Amino acid sequence: MGKYIIKRLLSLVPVLIGVSLIVFFLVRMIPGSALQMYMGTQVEATAEQMEELKRLFGEDKPIPVLYIEWVGDLLKGDFGYSLRTGRPVLPDILNRLPISLELTLYSLILALCIGIPLGVLSSLRQNTFGDFINRIIGLIGLSLPQFWLAALMVIAFSNFQGWIPMGNYISLLENPLKNLKMFFLPSLAIGFGFAAVVMRYTRNSMLEVLQMDYVRTARAKGLPYRKVIIIHALKNAILPVITVTGFNAGYLLGGSIVIEEVFALPGMGRLALYAINQRDYPVIQAIVLVIATLFVLVNLITDLMYAMADPRIRLVDEKR
Amino acid sequence: MKTPRLFRNKIAVAGLALIVLYLLMSVVSLFWLPFDPLNMNAEQILQPPSFATGHLFGTDEFGRDILSRIMKGTAVSFIISVSATALGALVGIFMGVWAGYLGGKADNIIMRIADILFSFPSLLLAIFIMAILGEHTYNVVLAIGIVYIPQFARISRGSIIALKGNEFIRAAKSNGAGRTYILIHHLLPNITAPIIVQISLSLSTAILLESALSFLGLGVQPPNPSWGNMLSSARKVMMFAPWTAVYPGLAIVLLVLGFNLLGDGLRDILDPRLRNVR
Amino acid sequence: MKESPILQVQALMTEFKTEHGIVNAVNKVSFEVERGQTLGIVGESGSGKSVTNLSILRLIEYPPGRITGGKVLFHGKDLLDATEQEMLGIRGKHISMIFQDPLTSLNPVIKIWKQIAEALMLHQNMKQKEAKKQAIELLRIIGIPDPEMRAECYPHQFSGGMRQRVMIAMALSCNPDILIADEPTTALDVTIQAQILELIRTRRDNQQTAVIMITHDLGVIAEMCDQVCVMYAGRIVERADVFDLFQSPKHPYTQGLLDSIPRLDRTGTERLHSIKGAPPDLLHLPQGCPFRERCDKAMSRCAIELPPDLTLMGSSNSRKVACWLYSEKEKVDENT
Repeated sequence: MGKYIIKRLLSLVPVLIGVSLIVFFLVRMIPGSALQMYMGTQVEATAEQMEELKRLFGEDKPIPVLYIEWVGDLLKGDFGYSLRTGRPVLPDILNRLPISLELTLYSLILALCIGIPLGVLSSLRQNTFGDFINRIIGLIGLSLPQFWLAALMVIAFSNFQGWIPMGNYISLLENPLKNLKMFFLPSLAIGFGFAAVVMRYTRNSMLEVLQMDYVRTARAKGLPYRKVIIIHALKNAILPVITVTGFNAGYLLGGSIVIEEVFALPGMGRLALYAINQRDYPVIQAIVLVIATLFVLVNLITDLMYAMADPRIRLVDEKR
Repeated sequence: MKTPRLFRNKIAVAGLALIVLYLLMSVVSLFWLPFDPLNMNAEQILQPPSFATGHLFGTDEFGRDILSRIMKGTAVSFIISVSATALGALVGIFMGVWAGYLGGKADNIIMRIADILFSFPSLLLAIFIMAILGEHTYNVVLAIGIVYIPQFARISRGSIIALKGNEFIRAAKSNGAGRTYILIHHLLPNITAPIIVQISLSLSTAILLESALSFLGLGVQPPNPSWGNMLSSARKVMMFAPWTAVYPGLAIVLLVLGFNLLGDGLRDILDPRLRNVR
Repeated sequence: MKESPILQVQALMTEFKTEHGIVNAVNKVSFEVERGQTLGIVGESGSGKSVTNLSILRLIEYPPGRITGGKVLFHGKDLLDATEQEMLGIRGKHISMIFQDPLTSLNPVIKIWKQIAEALMLHQNMKQKEAKKQAIELLRIIGIPDPEMRAECYPHQFSGGMRQRVMIAMALSCNPDILIADEPTTALDVTIQAQILELIRTRRDNQQTAVIMITHDLGVIAEMCDQVCVMYAGRIVERADVFDLFQSPKHPYTQGLLDSIPRLDRTGTERLHSIKGAPPDLLHLPQGCPFRERCDKAMSRCAIELPPDLTLMGSSNSRKVACWLYSEKEKVDENT
């Protein structure tokens, strides 16, 4: 098992390098350099001042060199300075990262808690009215644009205290109740769509598993039906759900950008949008890199969790 | 003559019906609209929906008729989602099929590229690409198309790999068939099923992506109507004029639902394992 | 004094709803099993042998299948009337079943010892630790080497023969009165087959377990069984002691089956014998005897009326045949 983990971690390196390359070079391609925008409002500067500005904005060296320097700085923990505010990038990101992560995590938990039980129930009552309703709601859930759902929530709940954050953030440690209240609607906005995905995958997976011979064996042993479902069927059915959750983690992270915008949550997504509008390279680079890295890590964790849950994968390398 | 399987599946038919409805609406919108979607009318600002005024869905903060704007936005949404999906599918399938068939180093390289693209959450990647290319409608097609490439690549590659080991491939080879021949005549026809399902789903997410981009100001630019940017401008006024937000969103939901229903129905037809035992 | 049979199946009927109509997979099937006896049920695929035995344990899923008639008397109590709760106490404890494909019949994500111990914990109220010890002991008894280590393995790490042994261990763990073995050796190599049969035989002899052996392999029948039922199209067409059956098969279908076995003592120029025709479509059974179209000895009566179960006198134990050939010749004792 340890060997497997190490192998997977090593395979991350080329991917991360590729990601960083893309991020760095593509950001440079954004039309309208930051220097130009800054200069737009200034009067003519002297040659010396231009030299100084160029150096500050990093336009005095060839790009590959800049890339190497950038990676070097990253590894030292220096993510550069915002061109807009002049402040170091990393602390800003670190301030906002937990909020985005919290939002994503809550959405995930909510989606799993809604999706898995409904999926299991639906599979057990295949083709009954309840199943039919479930599937319809599932399809609708898939079709909802998150920002619309969020907008509807804002319309509906604007009069109720504490349910719409609108810029204020209260951490879990400070006041758990307020925190959960505050995050509930945003998480639901993101999680509802994902809950639909989870429900459909769980349902399909359960349907397949319930046809399996080992379910028949379990019943032939005299196991009551409920135990058969939970111990034998669900353990197997959950595997594809783990995979799909991992794949869609990115969807959740992406969704947080829009939701943060609608609910005015001070998370990384909002920062990214501002930065893109302002051509604030260092910030854009840093955020996109962070999100992409997180995403890659999440995929790795998903793979590992799957390997832990399914002994057939785990033990492939071991000798009999 | 027995009705084709597609039409016997109620879910697919329902989806198809919705899609056709929207198609009709977009075609009609080219010739006739209830009102001019760009016409700002200060006296008609924020009218609630009513039959009397003729504004069936009400007006927005500039006095423009919402229904007309929704109808105009339909054509744009269709064009963008179909083009983007086509782009992603063509490039992605090409990459995936060769990767799966050739295996070895080519497979590695191609899939590495796909993996790197895949490392970005879809919306983030789209936003990123739009930021680089600039906020034009045609760039939205490019952005979403690029996002789809890895998905199609993975699916095609997976199917090809699953098929490669099959007996009929070996039989064809022993009959003297060359690589390209096998690829075109034996492999491609057999991967159409999962590809078709994926296309239908991609069409639905394309609409969601496009409206998300427009919502964030990175897609179709005002005053041209797109369901996404209509929602964005509605944010300021939706508290007291909810119809400005409800109807554009509903338009998105129903079309996406149509594609999802179609995709589901297609999947039911093409993958008999999931059909129930009754 | 002869004990009454512990299992009596009487006129069991099970049907399945399909897109194209209702199929009577089990059509008025009756047989009995006595303590310590091994009953073989032989027939082609689709003859209804597996469904019959799943019906005994009431493991038929509705939809699409349903038991629609008859009685299954276990120690005198009708299982078809029992509550699900009561059935839970029967399955695995008094009547156990093992299935054909041991790989798919074992849960791939649960360790071997746990799957064996499950029945023990359930029916004998053992604590997990004790059940685990017992499970390891069972592995040793059925001949798995190094059982303590093996117990921690997963099904895919065992070979086919070992997996089937595990299934047997699982089924016999609570010393059931009846073991139903549904094609236990079909998926295995011939050499392993012998070992598995030996295992079943030993356990049967030690515990006086009754065994219902379902198979299409007449060789297995010859080796293991005391009595045999031959099934065709959902019905039992012949029942006899194993020796009698092989010596003098009465029903044309049985005769056809026995003739089809390639034999070394036949001359080289003879063609292999096979029963002409194909098994009937259960959705559209012909009127009269279902075997009629493939039968060399069919008479006009066979096309009109279904032959009843006739008891043949004059042999050591009761023999039953469902064939019009025997209605005048032997004494008629109608049984249905």
